[in-house]
Amino acid sequence: MSAPGGGLIGSPAPRRKNRELLTGEGTYVADIRLEGQVYARVVRSPSAHARLLGVDTSEALRVGGVVAVITADDIDDIRIPIRLPFAESPEANAVLQAPLAADVVRYVGEPVAVVVADDPYVAEDAAELVSIDLDELEPVLDPANSTESSQPLVHESFGSNTIGRLAYRYGDIDAAFARADVVVRRRLRVHRLAAAPMETRGLAADYDPGSGVLTVWGGAKVKHFTRALLSRVLGLELTDVRVIEVEVGGGFGTRGEPYPEDILIPLLARRLERPVQWIEDRWEHMVATNHAREQEHDFELAAGADGRMLGFRVRGWCDHGAYVRTQGLLPVVLPMVHLPGPYEWPAFSMDLDAVLTNRTPVGTYRGPGMTEATFVRERMVDILAAELEMEPADLRRRNLIPAESMPFSFMPGPGSGAVMPIMYQGGDFVTAFDQMLDGAGYDRMRVEQRQARADGQHAGVGIAAYIEFAAVGPFEEVEVIGGAGNVVVRAGVGSLGQGVETALAQIAAELLDVPLSGVTVEFHDTAEVPQGFGSFASRSTVLAGNAIAAAVDEMKAKAAPLLGCGPGDVEFRDGTATAPGDRSVGLGDIGPTRGRFEKEGLTASFGGAVCSVSVNPADGRARVDRFALAHDVGRAVNPRLLRGQLAGAAAQGIGGALFEEVAYDEHGQPLSVTFADYMMPTAAELPDVEVTIIEHGSGSNPLGIKGGGEAGMVGSLGAVANGVADAVGDGAEVLTSSVSSARLWHALHRPRRA
Amino acid sequence: MAGWLDPHDSVAVTLTVNGAPRKVRVPPRRTLADALRDAGFTSVRLGCEHGVCGSCTILLDGAAVRSCLMLAVQGQGHTIETVESLTDGDELSTLQQAFDDNDALQCGFCTPGFLMLIEGLLRSEPEAGRDRILEVVSSNLCRCTGAVPVFQAALNALAANRDDP
Ligand code: FES
Ligand code: FES
Repeated sequence: MSAPGGGLIGSPAPRRKNRELLTGEGTYVADIRLEGQVYARVVRSPSAHARLLGVDTSEALRVGGVVAVITADDIDDIRIPIRLPFAESPEANAVLQAPLAADVVRYVGEPVAVVVADDPYVAEDAAELVSIDLDELEPVLDPANSTESSQPLVHESFGSNTIGRLAYRYGDIDAAFARADVVVRRRLRVHRLAAAPMETRGLAADYDPGSGVLTVWGGAKVKHFTRALLSRVLGLELTDVRVIEVEVGGGFGTRGEPYPEDILIPLLARRLERPVQWIEDRWEHMVATNHAREQEHDFELAAGADGRMLGFRVRGWCDHGAYVRTQGLLPVVLPMVHLPGPYEWPAFSMDLDAVLTNRTPVGTYRGPGMTEATFVRERMVDILAAELEMEPADLRRRNLIPAESMPFSFMPGPGSGAVMPIMYQGGDFVTAFDQMLDGAGYDRMRVEQRQARADGQHAGVGIAAYIEFAAVGPFEEVEVIGGAGNVVVRAGVGSLGQGVETALAQIAAELLDVPLSGVTVEFHDTAEVPQGFGSFASRSTVLAGNAIAAAVDEMKAKAAPLLGCGPGDVEFRDGTATAPGDRSVGLGDIGPTRGRFEKEGLTASFGGAVCSVSVNPADGRARVDRFALAHDVGRAVNPRLLRGQLAGAAAQGIGGALFEEVAYDEHGQPLSVTFADYMMPTAAELPDVEVTIIEHGSGSNPLGIKGGGEAGMVGSLGAVANGVADAVGDGAEVLTSSVSSARLWHALHRPRRA
Repeated sequence: MAGWLDPHDSVAVTLTVNGAPRKVRVPPRRTLADALRDAGFTSVRLGCEHGVCGSCTILLDGAAVRSCLMLAVQGQGHTIETVESLTDGDELSTLQQAFDDNDALQCGFCTPGFLMLIEGLLRSEPEAGRDRILEVVSSNLCRCTGAVPVFQAALNALAANRDDP
């Protein structure tokens, strides 16, 4: 008979919580009702760029039920900081956002005032009556041209629309181009996308003047950072701020970063000494919550006639929107480290600018930087394949870094700036690539494509291969508390709907040999869980999982003296710590134990996607008929949850390629502010995503796990674009990541480039 | 007939929710979704408040409707069902169980809306075929799963219902 916790790591344990969610019992932030609570409504800039001459709140204040209206004049002059040291720079720090605009508004949706009333409908009425006096300025809207001297400045005092330029040189790039037989060059554009979780953002805050404690519900991703920030800006002791995560309707990288509202709502709760709730509406969400992805790249690829890729040069412009937010320069740092990908380039040269425009700030969205970089590189590889008349899969396989070369690094050479070196710890890319093609039935896909073409259809097959860097440190701590029949794990990561609590429970149950039902995972309340960095970069299971392993080792060390043996002799069996000769102590007698896992650098994993696509040239509509992805997760803690995460991410990516786009008009007015204009896919437009999980281990952590929650997204834009390009052939050249029917129809019906 | 009501006036409405009548006082402009949420039926979720996402789907006299597009006063005299009515004691319904078995939920935000949407189909068109089921399932949005697993759950639940009505 197997032990209670045996084999749990790697088992498809059902997700915790499902019952509660299926019966509608889960409490999301909008469901919170506190005694005497009032409702906030944010007044936002209607203009993309204007001088703010004045804000008149008098009429709003006269509305019955209005409790307060605040503007920038009513709060301290603060900026919301970057939370990642490696994504900071003096330039980025010069263009941080204040919670409320003071002199200039820089994007439609920028908070200008907050109205608080005893009823949410009244708060909305009164917000309409706040009058904003604006003197319009010319907006900056095109990232690639934003740095032209003729362009206005988004931040006049900063003096430039470029807030950073990253340079990365590797190998002898001039020599690579000099010996090339073929050079292909294109300007590629990645379109602006929104994560658009089904639940908008929201907060509830309550300040208790008696105890001096401020409690904030609705933080999720980086609770401990938010707590420290609030303690600093509100002048409260760290221990007097509690940030509590409730049920979350999807995060995808955007929810839970400290935004202006995350300061304003707690500040109002403290000032008014009443609970304040704010629930973003969908229009607000589409202008206030971070956007993602928009960038443009001039890419040149040099290759030999035999298909050996010799080098690439890229000059890119990565839009950050109107301000740098908490994720700092990640919108430029992440594309850079992901551009080389899985190929053995003898040389490359990358210059990427971080630029500003008068639009909603850009942050990270599931698969950040890597999804954009993969589209750019993989589209170019297909353009090269067409030029060389080579099979796209063969061209890729020929250039993958061979397993013998691992570990592999592209160390930055002379001329590089202060960049993160690109290093791959291990993996067998060629084998994984073939596993992906086998899993997808690639050869069969090609046969079916030929048949469809013979029937007169526009059928295509698209591939993308990528490297994902994930599982960023610096560390995560957990506390494990054993008791009779129950083990509690307290962790500082967040859930955000991914099911991380299930995976962590599996790890603890297996290592302590207790049944899965005997483990409770707590992560909701900063007052109760250890320090944590949060849930992003597919780090939660890797970091907190290994911290649990460390805590279990520590439990052995603590149990050893109780058992009179060495730590190495302690084994966990059936909920007790045992020593040779049948001595044992209960887990509860060992006492609470902390474990910490520190991690340097990022973990690289290989993955890819293959899809078959059909295009109807009459209306430009593309359909993804099949989508198969593969990702190396090192070791799958819960293959069932992982599949769900990978397939769900791919569905978002397919929607992003085919339908979704955050568009603006020539005045900087957003055109995608409802779900009727930001069109997300439904079941009718999506294939059943097929997933191949690759488990090539990882030397960089004891449990051997890599990230997985985002990977399904990474190859999506590239694979779909390549599939569409393959389907339309010479009919149109696919140079943007959006292959919406409108774009495709125009491309198909416009004169071809010479 | 009384004259126009002021936005701040409130009117008494009786909503019959999950079999029990409830008297609520609401301003005439309050949506049915908000009134239900205020009355404690927080399973009615708001993802867009403009009728696209379907998170707020309930059954009104047995038919699936978007409660964000109705006013509470329009609920007077109608029978309303929310997801709270699906469970029989501790037992999940066949449909809820099908969601669980097919991993048709992740964050769970869209789940009550999808459940009521498909529950409406189960009752009104138990013989619905694959295409019709897909058509109905694609009226709502799920950002986490893309809703293909929801479609699978709906197929299974309708099939189970036909075998064992
Ligand atoms: S909230 Fe009613 S349809 Fe979206
Ligand atoms: S499960 Fe999250 S939106 Fe559907």
